[in-house]
Amino acid sequence: MKVESTHLEGVPVVRLSGRFDAYEVPQVRAWFDANKPAKAVVNLTGVNFLDSSALSLLVQQMKHCRERGGELALSCVAQPVRIIFELTRLDRAFPIAISEQEGVAALSFRRN
Amino acid sequence: MPPTLRIAVVTAHPPSSGSLTEYAFHFFRYLRRKPEVDELILLGDELPAGKQYVFDGPGAKVTVDPCWRFDAIDNAWRIRNAVSKHKPDAVLFNIQFASFGRGKVPASLGLSAPWLVKQLGLPTIVLLHNIMETVDLKNAGFGGNKLMESAIRIFGNAATRMLLSADMVALTIPKYVEILRAKYGVDNALLAPHGSFDESPPPSLELPPGPLQIMTFGKFGTYKRVERLIEAFSLMQSSARPKLELVIAGTDSPNAAGYLESMRQRYSDVENVRFTGYVPEEDVRRIFGEAAVVVFPYTSTTGSSGVLHQAGDYAKAVVLPRIGDLAELVAEEGYTGEFFDPDDANSLAHAIGKIIDYPEHRKQMGLRNYRAARGLPMDEVVDWYLLHFERLIGERNRSQPLPA
Repeated sequence: MKVESTHLEGVPVVRLSGRFDAYEVPQVRAWFDANKPAKAVVNLTGVNFLDSSALSLLVQQMKHCRERGGELALSCVAQPVRIIFELTRLDRAFPIAISEQEGVAALSFRRN
Repeated sequence: MPPTLRIAVVTAHPPSSGSLTEYAFHFFRYLRRKPEVDELILLGDELPAGKQYVFDGPGAKVTVDPCWRFDAIDNAWRIRNAVSKHKPDAVLFNIQFASFGRGKVPASLGLSAPWLVKQLGLPTIVLLHNIMETVDLKNAGFGGNKLMESAIRIFGNAATRMLLSADMVALTIPKYVEILRAKYGVDNALLAPHGSFDESPPPSLELPPGPLQIMTFGKFGTYKRVERLIEAFSLMQSSARPKLELVIAGTDSPNAAGYLESMRQRYSDVENVRFTGYVPEEDVRRIFGEAAVVVFPYTSTTGSSGVLHQAGDYAKAVVLPRIGDLAELVAEEGYTGEFFDPDDANSLAHAIGKIIDYPEHRKQMGLRNYRAARGLPMDEVVDWYLLHFERLIGERNRSQPLPA
C-alpha cells in the first residue's frame, strides 16, 4: 500500500492506494500520529479493498480530528469501497466528497 | 474533550441470567472508559433477591435502573418511562428476539420498547443479535406446530418493523443487513463489527497438566444442546487416547429451565463429564485457558456467536456445526475450525479428534483464531457507536434547536 501526503489550501491530504487492511493500518496510523492534523482529507481513489480495521482507523482519526476542533473528510471513494461505507452506514458519519478540492471545502463548512 | 454524553443502555447485564449478558458486560466496560461519556444509565432487568449490579473501577458514572423483568408484559412501557425519567442523550438497546421473555406475548411486546422510546424524540440505536428471518423457531424453543410457527413469523415481522423504527439497527453479520434492507425496504440497518472482548497479551498455546479438556460454553437447552456432544465424548473415551474430560460450562437457557439437570441424569453413566453451572466473570479466562478445544454443539444459529469470539480471544481451536451462520462467520471473519454434522455424534467425535490428536494443528488453529478475534477490539467497536450517536444527536439538535 502507498501512503502519500500533500497540502491543499493548507489542509493535509493523504492519498492511499492498494489494499487497506489490518496489515496496512499501522502505516497509515503512523502518518496521523506524526502529523496530528485537526483537519484532513483522505483520498481513497486507489484503494480497492478496505476491512474493518481500516474503517476503525478512520473512525479513530475522525474522533481525534474532532478532539482538535476539526474534521476528517474522505474523497474519491471507489465503488467497491463505497459499498462498505454504505453497509456500515459510516457514509453518513464521514463527509464523502468526489474530489480532494470538494473534500477541503466540506471541511470548512462542517463543525464551524 | 469534556465528557458530555449521557447514554442509556437497555440490556441484561451480569449478574442477570438473561441473554447477551457477556456482550453487555464488555460493551459497557469499554463504553464507560470513553472520555466523551459522562454517564451511563443501565436499564437492566430486575435481579433476584440477594443479587445486585456492581460497577466499580475507573470510568464514567453509572446509574442503574432495573426497570424490566423477563417475561413481564409491561416491559416496553416501563423502559419507555425509565428513559423519560432519566432523559439521556441517546439510547442503545442490546437485544435479541427473546430478550424480554420466553412467552410469545411478552417477547413481542418487549420488542416494541425501541419504538416507544423513539417517540420520545431521542436518538435510538438497536444492536440486534439475531433476526427473525434466520431463527429456527423450533430449535429456539418457540415452535410447536406449523400454524403456531406461521403466527410467530407474522408477529416477528411486525416486531422487526417496530425495531426498525429506531434510528439505526446494528447487526453483526452482513447477510442480516442485506436481508432486512431487502425485505423491509429500509436503509437504517447497518453492519457493526462484533468486536473482541479481551485486551490481554497473547495467551499461551500450551495446556495445563491433567486430562485434555473438551469444553462447551453458554446457555443450553434450546439451540445449544449437549446430547450429541456427550455421546461423541463417550465414543472418544473408548479409544486409545490420553485421559479426556468434557466440561459443560454454563447454565440453562432462560427458555429451557431444567435442561442441564435432565442431561446430567440421562447421561449419568458417562464418566469424566463436568457440569460447572454458572461461570462467574472472573473464572471465564481459566475455563477457556484450560480447554484443549471449544465445541459449539448448536443445532441452529441465531446470530453471531460471542463464544466464538471468546474462543478466538483465548487462542482456542474450535469445532463448529456445518450449518448456517457460524460457517459464514468463520469464512467472513477469518476464523477456522473443524466442522461436524450436528445430528451425528460420530461426525462430532471425528472433528474433535482431529484437533486433540494433533497438538501442532490445535496450536496453529488457535493462533489463527486469536488473530481473527483480535481484528477489531471492542474498544474500537464502541467508537463506531459513539460516532453514530454523535451524528444522530447533531441531527436532532439541528431539527429541534435548543431555546436561546
